[in-house]
Amino acid sequence: MLKFFAKIFKTPKNIISFSKNDLNQMDFFEIGEKIQDKVKKLFRGSLAIRQIDAGSDNACEQELIALSNSFYDVERFGIHFVASPRHADMLLVTGPVTRNMAKAVKDAYDGTPNPKIVVAIGDDAIDGGIFKNSYAVLNGVDSVVPVDYQILGDPPTPTIILYSLLKILETVEDKTLQKK
Amino acid sequence: MLEIIASPISFFILLSLFFVGAIGSLFFYKNNNQANAWSSFFVISGSLVGLVFSIVNILTKNSLLFGLKTSFFSFFTISFHIDLLSSFFVFVISLLALFCSIYGIGYVRHYYKKYNIGVLGFFYNLFIGSLILVVTSSNGILFLIFWEIMSISSYFLVVYDNHDDDNVKAGLLYLVMTYIGTSFIILAFLLLYKYIGSFDFLVIKDNIALIPASIKNIVFVSAFIGFGLKAGIIPLHIWLPVAHPAAPSHVSALMSGIMIKSGIYMMIRLFLDILQPVPFWWGLMVLVVGSISALLGVLYALTEHDIKRLLAYHSIENIGIILLGLGSALTFYSLNLPALALLGLIAALFHTLNHAIFKALLFLSAGSVINEVHTRNMEEYGGLIKYMPQTALFFLIGSVAISALPPFNGFFSEWLTYQALFQGIAQMSFVTQWIFILATGSLVFTGGLALACFVKAFGVTFLARPRSKKVTCAKESALSMRLGMGGLALLTLLFGVFSGYIISIINTVSQSLGIFKNSSSAINISSSQSMSVSNGFSSISGPLIFVLFVVTIFLVVFIFKKIINRKQKECTTNTWDCGTNFTPRAEITATGFSRSIILIFKGLLKPTIQHNIEYYDDQNRYLPKSRTVTLNIGNVYHTYLYQPLHIVINKLSVKAKTIQNGNIDLYISYILVALMLALLVIL
Repeated sequence: MLKFFAKIFKTPKNIISFSKNDLNQMDFFEIGEKIQDKVKKLFRGSLAIRQIDAGSDNACEQELIALSNSFYDVERFGIHFVASPRHADMLLVTGPVTRNMAKAVKDAYDGTPNPKIVVAIGDDAIDGGIFKNSYAVLNGVDSVVPVDYQILGDPPTPTIILYSLLKILETVEDKTLQKK
Repeated sequence: MLEIIASPISFFILLSLFFVGAIGSLFFYKNNNQANAWSSFFVISGSLVGLVFSIVNILTKNSLLFGLKTSFFSFFTISFHIDLLSSFFVFVISLLALFCSIYGIGYVRHYYKKYNIGVLGFFYNLFIGSLILVVTSSNGILFLIFWEIMSISSYFLVVYDNHDDDNVKAGLLYLVMTYIGTSFIILAFLLLYKYIGSFDFLVIKDNIALIPASIKNIVFVSAFIGFGLKAGIIPLHIWLPVAHPAAPSHVSALMSGIMIKSGIYMMIRLFLDILQPVPFWWGLMVLVVGSISALLGVLYALTEHDIKRLLAYHSIENIGIILLGLGSALTFYSLNLPALALLGLIAALFHTLNHAIFKALLFLSAGSVINEVHTRNMEEYGGLIKYMPQTALFFLIGSVAISALPPFNGFFSEWLTYQALFQGIAQMSFVTQWIFILATGSLVFTGGLALACFVKAFGVTFLARPRSKKVTCAKESALSMRLGMGGLALLTLLFGVFSGYIISIINTVSQSLGIFKNSSSAINISSSQSMSVSNGFSSISGPLIFVLFVVTIFLVVFIFKKIINRKQKECTTNTWDCGTNFTPRAEITATGFSRSIILIFKGLLKPTIQHNIEYYDDQNRYLPKSRTVTLNIGNVYHTYLYQPLHIVINKLSVKAKTIQNGNIDLYISYILVALMLALLVIL
């Protein structure tokens, strides 16, 4: 238990930051192509994501659902939303983590095989956002499980989400290169 | 030394040990511990003497014939004939009695203060003693006396747990059925007596030519019914799945392992020894009955969720397999192919031995489980491997052996049975060939279904999570019980690995039968323990299979651990439960597991499925409170065989009542008429 808290404490919560210019220069398809390259390299062609709603107001869910609609269609880049944490490489957690969902988030984290990437999406998930300091919430995902990356926005648009994923994958690639 | 061991003296020592054990435990009826110790000590020492006696007799090919010279009646002599076949059965009985009694020391403890242990010890000693006498006596009347002692003592063992009404009912059914069987046996013996004038088996054997063929056929049919009833052939089996589960588990092990084999012993003795030469159709009939018993036995076993009834049905199946070997032996011999007949007989005897061992092992481990969980219903078990790991291992070994998987002993005897049947297919004319093909098919089916059944039995009992709270209180069974089971488990492995040696011994046992005197067997056993049938038709080697088995397991584990998974770390976490709470309701049940197979054999098993839904509000049928599905198997034998018989007998009895109406005048006139008739006949 203590170990787990230490891990939560130690894990660097990288907030994915980028300038508007970067985003404006590339259109969605370009980002997607780059992501596809990274996914091919790092995950052998398919990145499985499990999304957890930890008491979100559904704004982030709308955007995530939009990712897989026919307009954005991220599946063509090798990103899949899967039904079980057992199949996932990455956990996307939305919402400020209500007290009732804390155990579910923890269980899902435990249920995901290692190595795993935990990403908190949206301002709510980072520190509670507009629900901050309410009696019903725990103020962010990092109070329950170790969070590796955080994506800003209330809610972030699908393009921002995809772009952030690209950034995350780039960081992951850098880290693996460093290890080698 | 050997001569003393192999003499009638040690046979009487053996008997007196059981006798002293029986009487002594009655004296100690007030003290449970003393009674238990007394009866166990004498049974164990008796079976040890029996083991040594029979092994020495078999190895020195010694045949004993002794008895009291004088007797009051000409037809009743107390005579025993212990040839190698009898010695073989004495060996099997003593072997099983030894391990079951070791197990029994710990097992009967849970009867303390509920029942009288002295009585149990009395009947237990009597039962084993009479079993040994049944397979050694050489006079029809003497045999029947011991046969009855065996039946009665086993009846009292069946109803021992008499607080349960079901057990008393089971005992009654057993008693009625056993008397029906005995009456057929008496009929057979009386017919033999009528034509030969003696009940002595040896005299009958010498003068068998005096019996006309038609009478011989009647003798065959009634002996087959009588002994088949004891052996549990279908459709005379109905007592077996009821009576065996009712008895204490170590007694069930003996009943299933050995008592039903006394029927097989007498079939071998009569059909292959005494009544020779036999007509062709006897063998075919035994074959057909054997294949039906094997197939239906295993099908009924699949439908059971009472663990001991399941095992009892498997006894029916295995008796069927033994009869397949015996039937092919009879068929081959009547066609003058003694080498192949010997093959069939060896298969039957080896399977008798093997089935005794692994069925006892299974019954004992089931008994341990029942002892801890206090129910026979498999649906209330589950997860027992965590609470009783050693018992689980023993049950697994027994299951693997009964499913005929190498390297355990069941595989080798079934392999021999297959060889006998294949030889039949290869050598026979068209019609007979098809009977052999169907018998082989039924054996194949039986093997597969037995495997499915034991996957079910082992999985539902020992794997997954506990299905009831009782399981979580279970503990590993007592040391003596584990010793009993462990010894048998070791034997299943040893008799498999060294099957070549065992078969060569059984070969000498079978060759000692008069009809096989000058014939050599179709099995060749090389110095490296490998057997081959009819000059290389097929061959197999126990040690080789065992070595392959061990090497394969080692290689697979090695390859997976060290090569394929060398970079991966193992981690143990909870099962992913999708956020729900796991309950045992999510597990597959025994009934659910067998349902698909039951539906395939719908025509044979006649299942009935009943759905019951209880609503919170009868008017408003939207919220069901509870749903139950009841899956039942129709009792075909009851509705189509026993009930009509019952009705006919009832009607006949009512008719007969008109003769006996209670009027004393009428009775006097009956006496007068009888007297007149008697006078007329004499004059």
